[in-house]
Amino acid sequence: MSTVKSSSEDLTLNADGSGNDVVIQGNGTNTATITAEGLLKYNSGYGSVATAYGCRAWVNFNGTGTVAIRGSGNVSSITDNGLGDYTVNFTTAMPDANFNVVGMVCATSDGNKSSLRGISLYGPASITTTTARIRTMNGINTAAYDAETTSVSIFR
Amino acid sequence: MRIIYETEEGGVAVIIPAPECNLTIEEIAAKDVPKGVSYHIVDASEVPSDRTFRGAWSWE
Repeated sequence: MSTVKSSSEDLTLNADGSGNDVVIQGNGTNTATITAEGLLKYNSGYGSVATAYGCRAWVNFNGTGTVAIRGSGNVSSITDNGLGDYTVNFTTAMPDANFNVVGMVCATSDGNKSSLRGISLYGPASITTTTARIRTMNGINTAAYDAETTSVSIFR
Repeated sequence: MRIIYETEEGGVAVIIPAPECNLTIEEIAAKDVPKGVSYHIVDASEVPSDRTFRGAWSWE
């Protein structure tokens, strides 16, 4: 086995020159690439080396009682605007407002695990480069609803 | 800690800082409170936990 190692300082892989990528191969096959433009591409079971689009921000919070964040990444805070109305505030802004918002809500306090709950963006202008405003609701009558678990992820 | 401000609609917004965030409460307020809006930093215990009439909250 051969090992590339640096014990005392950062290890730099430098594909010097315009347009040159850093390529990792296994058995002569390209398995991962970091392009000159900064795109990370890998196989990891895709069957081909493709760009990985990462989760750029996420938060899991309790929207009931004393609203509290359980865990987060690249989120500075959430704003409790009202019943079932929250804004996720990003620590580092997105490059544009065309990102993908994914959310789930769960209510367990009522003991009815089949209860239908919903989550949506607050409106057409509810996402900016620094925020995503969401609405959580009763999935049957769409009334605003605070859920014990609300999780939101931002992909781009 | 929590950051409180009055919304344009006359309600009250409460900012909950993320525990993993490495920003101070003042830095979060400067970043996440709408520009030009005055705010207050309070202890979390000062915010009601009963949200039954959440829409009727006001700041005094």
